[in-house]
Parts: sequence; structure tokens; C-alpha cells
Amino acid sequence: MLETDTLIQHYLEGTLSETEAAQLHEMILAQPELGERLLQHFEMDTMLRETKPLAVVPAPAPVLLPKRRFTFATVTSVAAMAACITLAGTWLLQPLLKVEEEETTASVAVLTRGVNLDWESTAITPGTPLSPGLLKLRSGIAQIEFYQGARVLIEGPAEFRLISSGEATCTRGKLSAHVPPQAKGFRINTPQGTVVDLGTEFGLDVNDASAEVHVFKGEVELHQASEAMQSLKQGQAMAFADKGQMLAANASNFASLNEIDARSQQSQRSQFESWLARSAKLNGDAGLKLRFDFQDDEGARSLHNHALNGGLIEDGSIVGAAWTEGRWSGKRALEFRNVSDRVRLYVPGETAALTMSVWVRVNGLDRAFNSLFMSESWGDRKVHWQITREGKVRLGVAGRGSVKHADYDTAVFFTPERLGRWTHLAVVFDPSTQEARHYANGELIARLPLKDASPLKLGVAELGNWSDRRNQGGVAIRHLSGAMDEFALWDRALSSAEIAQLIK
Amino acid sequence: MNSNETHAAQIFLSHHDFVKGIALKYAPWPGLMEDIAQQVFLEFMAKESQWDLSKDARPLLATMTRHIAMRQWRERTRQQPEVVQKLADHIRLLAEEREAPPRYEEEIGALRDCLKKLPEKSRELVTLYYYNDIGTPEIAGQVNMKADTVCRALSRVREKLRDCIHQAMNRGGHAHA
Repeated sequence: MLETDTLIQHYLEGTLSETEAAQLHEMILAQPELGERLLQHFEMDTMLRETKPLAVVPAPAPVLLPKRRFTFATVTSVAAMAACITLAGTWLLQPLLKVEEEETTASVAVLTRGVNLDWESTAITPGTPLSPGLLKLRSGIAQIEFYQGARVLIEGPAEFRLISSGEATCTRGKLSAHVPPQAKGFRINTPQGTVVDLGTEFGLDVNDASAEVHVFKGEVELHQASEAMQSLKQGQAMAFADKGQMLAANASNFASLNEIDARSQQSQRSQFESWLARSAKLNGDAGLKLRFDFQDDEGARSLHNHALNGGLIEDGSIVGAAWTEGRWSGKRALEFRNVSDRVRLYVPGETAALTMSVWVRVNGLDRAFNSLFMSESWGDRKVHWQITREGKVRLGVAGRGSVKHADYDTAVFFTPERLGRWTHLAVVFDPSTQEARHYANGELIARLPLKDASPLKLGVAELGNWSDRRNQGGVAIRHLSGAMDEFALWDRALSSAEIAQLIK
Repeated sequence: MNSNETHAAQIFLSHHDFVKGIALKYAPWPGLMEDIAQQVFLEFMAKESQWDLSKDARPLLATMTRHIAMRQWRERTRQQPEVVQKLADHIRLLAEEREAPPRYEEEIGALRDCLKKLPEKSRELVTLYYYNDIGTPEIAGQVNMKADTVCRALSRVREKLRDCIHQAMNRGGHAHA
């Protein structure tokens, strides 16, 4: 027979077996004071669960450490929270922290714009920092800005190798370069020779037979092996193979900023029309229960649920967050900056399977947990989809009763180079395959076995922030620093092929 | 949110612990209190235009909480085996029959003081079990103790804290664990 304390403990933990329940019931009937004692323990147990400290200090024995969550105890105002963060940072956690090493980057340039880009090499999107290496563009126009200040427009098909922040090699294709005075000395190598810019604008056309240089403004130097350096001035052009024969520069043969602007607008119009057509189809998906397209009227303070079968889920309510430009000009998104910014929504009932998808531009990982979609509070199969400070994407599912919570993490995904760029994220909770899957930009990045496949209960939830009703007063700060565009939620597990379609 | 909704939410938040106290009284089942408080919030906000927010909200919130607690209690316990249901109903009856009103609001404040005064070993146990979410069998396994011993130790800590809270409430001064 188990001791009274053990039986009470099992009641508190929700792990009482039928035999134990019968035994405890018998004991309470025989000793009425035991019932009062159980109630006192129950109250104290509940209160103790609500008194988590500012940060959980690791237990002495490392083997006992569970997955820790950074939480804050009760604080009564944002100012107090800030004070507590400082306190935690400078005093409570100080002995536990190592000196932080500065992060580094190997990038030398950035892809700033693109029109109809079709890459033969790894696909890159505007905003991507570029490290030294080969870019193979099948078609389209790419605008690359070098960190020293030179700006290059490359027209596909082209092969272009980045060497440093002031040097590149072009083995095929056409490009035009704008080199401001501070980038003087910018070099482009070709198989036939090297162009050294002295602060100017020029065009370069490289094909199998030769390479032509056209100077639109200023002056460039041409360097060829075993040849004297040749200087080209505004309005002049020369083919490397022709050894000294001057031609007239022809700017109309090269892409200009005006052209990229015009083609960008055309491309965006066509992209927008295509998006509208796909949206209409997506909204009719039987499993789609919630879809915010973030194209609500400018100034609107709610997000309309466009899912045709999402009748039970009302529109989301915008708190604090401001409208901003989305993934392309004319597409809207919400910017989350402050601790108050969020979109509140309510997802009733339980769901056996779940898929969530969102476009997000993460500006920085300022918090221990940076919210994407967070059920209010924690416990009873609630769901927290968030990004950890180190850049892992996490699906957290709370336990129920005696079952502990489970975290499903990717490897570090949000490295500094990925910040400030639009990224598509999706997560799938799939009881049929007993796994959680994470996707980024349509590609599977993590596949993890489910620890508990029982149904999920989303309830009241927030995009870009978290509310914790369990504590009186203060709530841990977990708001997103960034922007969000197009959020969708299904009550079924989407396949990898379906996820890939979402970013087309 | 419009300004009325904001005001209603503020009123609810200022009575959050009061609601939890009522929820504990009418539904003493592990993990149920939070769900009840959340549901009360949703229903309170859904009908906010019907409430006279200039009046004391406690009677209204007490009634709402009691109804919701009963409803959720039924939903939660009916999933349990019959013998567990009987025990749970008996415990709920005992909780309802208690004469003392819920003092959750005052007690949780005092508890924070009492926790600071606990001996180190007891604080470690509270940290492991309540803050690090490590179950009693795992704690027992790691420290080479029987699970019963860990249960007893937790029980003693809770009793000590209860005594400390009572002393603090009776004195109206600082608490000592």
C-alpha cells in the first residue's frame, strides 16, 4: 500500500492509477481530515507552479537538466520588465554566461534587386548577402552592390565570379557597372583581360570570341597580358581582341537602372496577378482553416480570415503592429517592433494534425524566444512556434497531465545573413507519420519523431507575440522583431510537395 | 480592440487571481485552473458590451467562473475511469463545502516571500520539480532515493510553506519559512 504523501503527489501530478484512486478515496472517507489536507496541498501545488523565478538557474546535477525555457517571473510593468532583464543579464545570469564571441561574415556584396531571375547556380533572392563564389544566371537581370560601393547590373545568361568587395570575374554575359569615386579601382577580370575602373560607368559584353568594353562616363583602364595598358574615355568602346581599335560606346546595348525599374514593375504586376489566382485556389482547400493574406485595407486593425472552410475562426485583431511593405511593392505586411505588437486570434477545438505557414522577415533575434504563432499561456497541448535566440526554429507542444512538453527544433537556421530577408517558414505536426517537419523556403530542413502524437489545442493565440495568463502581472517578453506576411493554418498535414507549391 | 474592450480586459486582468481562486474552489483538478480562467476571459470579453464596467466586477466574475468551472470539470473528469471520477467528485464536494473563502490572491503574494526563506535543499527541490519540470520518479532516480521519499519531501516543503503563509497572513508582516 502506498503512503498518503505518495498518493497525494500522484493526484497532483495527474498520474493516479485506478487502484490508487480507490485507495485514496477509501482513506478520505475513513479520515475526513485527509480530504482537507489534500486540498491544501492542491492549492499550494497550483500556486507554486505560478511562482517561476526570473530565470531558472540550472540544477546542480547536469543530468537533471531538462530543456529550459527562459521565463520571467511576475513583474508589473514594461519598465519593471526592462529592469528585470538588466538584473538578469548583469547579476543573476552573469556567472553562467561566457564572453560572447563576435559573429563574422564572409560576404563581399549583396543582391539588391532582381527581375525574372532564373539561376543555374543556387537560387538567391534579393537581400541575400553574397560570399566569394560563382553565380550562374540563366536569364533575368540581377543588381549586385559590392561592399566597396560599386553597383553592377548583370544580364542573363551570364557567369560571374565574386572575388572580393572590389573585384569580380566575368566569363560570359553582359553587365553594366556604376562605380562611384569611393570605389575607384574596382576591377572586373575577363578571359581576355582586366577592366580597372577609375570612377565611372561602363558596360562589358563577354562572349566566347572576345570581350567589349563601353565607357558611358569617366575613364577605365584595360589591362591585357603582354600588351600596354590602354585607357578608354567617355563615349569610347573597344574589343580586347582588336588591340587598340576604338569604337563608339553604345549604352543601349546594356541594361540600365531605368530598364530594371520598368521590368521590375511589369514583373511585380504579373507576380501579383499570379498570386491572386493561386490565393483563390488555396482559400478553397478543405483543410485550410485560417488564412490571413495581409492585403486588408490600409489602416485596418483586423486581418480577415479568407479560408472558405474556416468558418469557426474569426478575423484576427491587430494590436500595436503597423502596416509596412511586404514581399514586393504593393504587397502589404505587418511590422512587429514593440513588446505590445501582436495579432490576436482564436482557434477553437482540438486538431489531430496541423500545418502552419508564414512569410517572415526577421530583423533580429532580440529575445530568448521570438514568437511566430503562440498559443496563449502554456500547458494542455498548446502550441508555440517560435525562433530561439541562437536561430533555431522551434515547434513546442505542451504536455497534458503527467506527459511532459516536447520541443521540436531545427538546427540553427537564422544566421546573420538570413536576417532582414523574406523567408517562408512552414511546420507540420503529422500524427500519421509520427513526425514533426520544418520547412524553409519550401525545402525540408528538419524531420523529428513525435514524442506525443495526441491532438493539439491551439485556443487563444497570437502572431508575433505571446501572452501568459498564468502569472499575475508580468509576462515573459517574446515579441518578434520583424515583419510577417501571409499566415495560413491547416488542420491536416501538408506533404513536402504541397509546401513547395506555397512559395511558387 | 476598442477602448471599451481595452477597459474590460484591464478589469479582467486586475481580477485574474480572484478568478483563479474561484476556479480552484470549484474545480480542484490538476491543470484545470488555467483553462477555466482563460475561458472566463473569453466569455467576459465576448459580452463586454453587456456589462456595467463601472460596478464591482467580482460578483459577475465569481458567477461566470463557477459556471465555467462546473462545465469544464464535467468535461474533464468524464474522460476518467469511474473510480477516479468518484474520488474527484468527492474532493470537489469537500472543496465546495469549505467555509473559508478563497484567499488565492493574498496567499500567492505571501508565498513569494516564503519561498525566499526556505532552506537551500528545499529550494533546490522546488526548483527541480516546479521550475525545471522534472518528475518525481526522475528526481528519485538521479539522487538515489525512493520515489516515496521524494514525494514525502515535496509534501513537507508544501506544508512548511503553508505554515509560513498562515503566519504571514495572521501577522500581516514578513513571512518566515
